[in-house]
Order: sequence, then structure tokens, then C-alpha cells
Amino acid sequence: MDIGKKKVSFPMVANYNSVVRYFVECGLDAQFIMPPKMTRRTLEIGSRYSPDYVCAPFKSTLGSMIDALEAGADTLVMTMGLCRLGYYGELQEQIIRDLGYDFEMINLAEYTTGKNRDYLKALRRINPKMSLAKFTLAAAEGLKMVEYIDEIEAEYYRNCGFELNKGDYKKALDRFYLAMNMAKSKKDVEEGYREAKREFNRIPLDKPEQPLRVGIVGEYFTIMDPFSNLDLEQKLADMGVEVHRWMNITNRNLHYKGQKNLGVQIAEYCQYEMGPTSTANIWCAKNYAVNGFDGIIHVKSAGCTPEIDVMPILQNISADYKIPILYLTYDSQTSDTGLETRVEAFYDMISMRKKVV
Amino acid sequence: MKERNSTAAISVKAPVIGLPRAMLYNRYEVLWKSFFSALGMKGIVSKPTNKAMIEAGSALAIDEACLSTKIYLGHIQSLIGKCDYILVPRISNFGLHRNMCTKFESLYDVVCNVFRDTDQKFVAYNVDALQKIDEEKAFVDLGTALGYDKKTSQKAYKRAKRNESEDWKKKVHEEEALYKSQGIKVLIVAHSYVLGDAYIGQPVIDYLKGMEVTPIRADVVDRKEALKQSAKVSKTLKWELSRELMGSIQMHRDKVDGLILLSAFPCGPDSMVNEMIIRKFTGLPILNIVLDNQDGTAGLETRLESFTDILKLKKGVL
Repeated sequence: MDIGKKKVSFPMVANYNSVVRYFVECGLDAQFIMPPKMTRRTLEIGSRYSPDYVCAPFKSTLGSMIDALEAGADTLVMTMGLCRLGYYGELQEQIIRDLGYDFEMINLAEYTTGKNRDYLKALRRINPKMSLAKFTLAAAEGLKMVEYIDEIEAEYYRNCGFELNKGDYKKALDRFYLAMNMAKSKKDVEEGYREAKREFNRIPLDKPEQPLRVGIVGEYFTIMDPFSNLDLEQKLADMGVEVHRWMNITNRNLHYKGQKNLGVQIAEYCQYEMGPTSTANIWCAKNYAVNGFDGIIHVKSAGCTPEIDVMPILQNISADYKIPILYLTYDSQTSDTGLETRVEAFYDMISMRKKVV
Repeated sequence: MKERNSTAAISVKAPVIGLPRAMLYNRYEVLWKSFFSALGMKGIVSKPTNKAMIEAGSALAIDEACLSTKIYLGHIQSLIGKCDYILVPRISNFGLHRNMCTKFESLYDVVCNVFRDTDQKFVAYNVDALQKIDEEKAFVDLGTALGYDKKTSQKAYKRAKRNESEDWKKKVHEEEALYKSQGIKVLIVAHSYVLGDAYIGQPVIDYLKGMEVTPIRADVVDRKEALKQSAKVSKTLKWELSRELMGSIQMHRDKVDGLILLSAFPCGPDSMVNEMIIRKFTGLPILNIVLDNQDGTAGLETRLESFTDILKLKKGVL
């Protein structure tokens, strides 16, 4: 049925792979191989072949690429990026080729020339006969899907800790993910989204007037990917916390307010753009502090240079606004006991604080 | 001099500028000193790195920050209160695929936040070519911020740049001569702020010399040519400093007996680039050393010794 089509895959990133699938299948008329859900084995393989002290997302995405090849993909796509991420693709390709795999690599970093239309060349490699009009349409619909995923997830983590019947929210969310995964048209996307909204609205809640509110800031990949952050948001929600996370593709990429507009609001803390997501994170943390959140959690993978450099500023924000910040560093751990202890202690502290203050 | 007179009208006493002897000082020493002296300013430089500085810097830095950052903060600490301004540049990029590590984008703001409870003033110059701020504009802005007029600053920059390029030509010439020397030659691939550091880099050079090996610095190279060569080895490598090193290896791979990769833990770019070097330059003996804040040098010496033994065995001189 799909003879002659490229079997394209992209490493697992949070829940956005349905969107990549939509681009590839509906926009480029190629076949998308969904990388298997990441497991302990993915991480083990990824870490085994990665350099020692590279950041953790390199290891998990490398593992996920190998997973995808084993699942039948013949073409791998990797993104460009503003930090080390921009060099991921080339080194990962080298490592996987040295292992002996045969595949085609489309590394978007190679097409970063300052002119956006050069990315078209990358798309043409996936399907030389692609129609630009068709892709543009599918891209717009795919990006809409990104917005829906982000909106639904945000609503989910704000409320799921307060549902009356355990599991209602999760069921609705899983159905939504499935719908996005199966969507073949704009209509499917819209319907899936509306259905999820309807279901969410029907779920009975028992939410206090002033629940504990925790804002999460941190490194782009680890903060968005529940597998990498050991389901941090769910853990907090399960304790009865309203969890807020500004950082997602919608806010950081699609509707980003820009360095200048955010920078001006944090001028007392920094003068320059300090890294790809630094301005956003500092702005976001200050915002949580100003709005009276009970605590902030800073998430990053071990060795993430831009996020390490944000920390001195977060410490100052914490001192100025008297808001507790928990700093979490993730490497390729697979056990979450240590994390649980720390998050529980943090929860106890902020909940006692709320009663006292 | 004419420009001196014009500045004298603005401030009676020229401000004193502090230069931390760490990070990019190792790259821009001549440029900075010439620029400030052309403006008629007095500069003071912190002492070469010592153990106390590293300890002070480690206490100030985030635990996970790289060793070079810790050293840098130690140097800043030693200059606090001894000068009117401390120079902390902010350098993002020199153009497309010519980025600096994000560390150099953030350093100024990190320093200001770490030392915000002191009265010390810091000045930056901001190079961000993709935002249309090249080095010249950055230095003119710096001069203006320090109270000099635009023309004076521009002149000072031009003179400093001339000095820098003459000095660099001389250094490259001297380094190139080493490739023709007799005996075992090792190319040391390290950032200038690692190799040029008196406490972490110098001991490696000294030890190698003691073993009768000629250490050659990969970073002292014709930079333009190195950038060109690096694109041939690794297409999407985008860090300016790493590209110079990668290009330098490509240019000299047949002229040396082995490579020593020397990194400060946990250097972001090096964590990936060193892996790429090891995978690309097969057939060349490579020793990969990661330096952290250790006290003893015995471990380092053992590794250097066994590596030089291997090189000597290969060459049949052991």
C-alpha cells in the first residue's frame, strides 16, 4: 500500500509526535513510523552509545532513534536548535552509522542558512513530488493541533488533582491523545479537541478556593517530556496541587512574545538574552512569584548550560519575592524514588507555609 | 594626543578597569589592553589562577557550572572593590554558524546577579552579529558607555584591532614553527581559557615538556583557514571556538604524533565535539582528559605518561 514511500521517523518528544505524523502523512504524503514509547531500554541504549556528560535529552533521543529504526523506519529527521540541540543531529547520525545501521538522515540543522525557504529542500528530500500548497495547509492544521495539545494538557494538570472520581481526567486525556494520533483531517483534529473539552467540563471536581499552586520552569525538552522528568507534573497533581507550566511549543514558539517584550519586564534581573529559553524562564518565574504562587520548580537535564546560568537569577527572585524554589536535575535515571522524596518534602514545606502565612 | 584632551574634558580622572584573567581574557588580552590604553584608561588584571581563587569561585557558582565558570567567578571576586569597572563581555555570535557557547551569552548577567549585593560596577560589550551588532559597534558602544565620544572609541578600537592582528600573526607563526621540530609532537586541543590557565592547563604543558614531548596548541592557528577546514569535517558544527579547534586538527593531523583533548568538566560543546573528533580522526592516537577541581595531579600524570609512552613506542624511540 505504501510502496515507494519513505518511512520517516522523529525521536519521541513529549506528546508532539502526533503532530510530526500529521505533517509527514497529511502534508508530505510519506509514511510516518511512530517511535515506540520510550522505555528503560531506550534510555539504556541511548546512554550506552552517547558521550558521558552530554545532556540527557541527547541520550533519550538517540535511544528513540534506534528504537524507530528497529521499528522499520528508513529515514530519520532531527531538528535544529539554539544550544547543544543544534549539534544533536550530526553526532547522532555519526553514532548510529558507526553502529552499522543504514538509513537516510534529514538533519534540519544542515538547512539552517538564514533563509527559511531552504527548509523546503529538506521537505523535498522526504517526498520530491510534494505539493507545497498541500503541505502549507497540513502544517497550519498540525500547528493547530500543537495548540490544542498544549491547551488540553495545561487544563489537565491544573485540575486532575481535584477530580472526585479518580481517573476521570486521565481517561479523557488518553482518548484525546488517541484522537490526535489517528487524525487524518482538520475535522478529526477539531472534533477530538472539542470532545476532550466537553469531557473535561463534565468531570466533577472538588477544588478548594485557594489550592496550592506550583509553577514549573526549566529546560525546553525535559520540562515537556513526562518520560524524561519522571512524570513530575502528575506526581504534583496527585498530591493535590494546581500545576502550571507556561513552557510549551505554543507559548515558546508559536505565540512567543519576543525577546524585547519579555526582556523589558525582567530588566531588573538581566540585560541580555542569556540563552534560548532563559528570558522566557526568568520572566515566567517572576510572573509566578508576582502572582502569589506557593512554589516554583526548576527542571533541567544535568549539565544544561543555559539553565545552570538561569539559576543565580532564580535564586535572587526567590529571595526578593520570598518564594520557595526546588531545583531538579535529571540525568538518565529510571527510578523515581529519589524524586518522590524531594517533591514530597517540597510539598510538605509549601503546604505548611501556606497554613502559617 | 588629541583624543586624550577631549576625554580629559569629560572626566578628570580616567576610570580604572578590571580584567579577570580567565575565560576570554586568554583570547582577547591584546585587544582589551590596547583598547583601554588607547582610551587612556588604566587596567588592572587579576593574578594567575590559584587554589584559593578556584575555591572562592566554586563557593559562588552553581555546583553544576563548568570549572571555567568557577574559575572566572573566583577572578571576579578577587577584583571586587579594586577598580571602577570590571569588564565582562557578552558575546553571542559572529554570524551564522559562528556561535559562542551560551555561557558567553549569559556571563554578564550571571556575574551581575551573583555579585548584586556588592557596590561593584560591571561593564559589558555586546557582540551579536545576527542582531547586526558586530565587534566594532560593540566596542564603540562600550567606549561611549564609559564616557568617551564615538570617534575616540572608534579610533581606539581600530588601533587595538591592528595590534591584536599583528600579535596574533606572530603567535601563529611561532606555533607553526613547532610542527617542524624534531621528536614527539602532540597537538593539545583545548579552549584557550583551559590551556592558558596557570592552575589547570599549564601543568599539562609543563609535564609534557618534562617528558621531552613538544606540546603544540591547536587554538593558536590561522582562524579563517581553520573555520573553512572545520566545515569539511563537520558540517553543522556551530561553535566558533570548537570550529577553530576542529579545523586546526584537520590542518595538522599529519604533522603530529597524537592529540590530547583537554576539557573543563562539564563543558557543553566539548561533551559533543570531543566525541565527534574521536569518531572522525581514527588512526590518530587520542587522549581525552577532563579536568575538574582536583587537588592531586598524580592521576593526570599517570595518564599523560602512559600516553607519551605509547607515542614513543609507536615511533620506536622507547
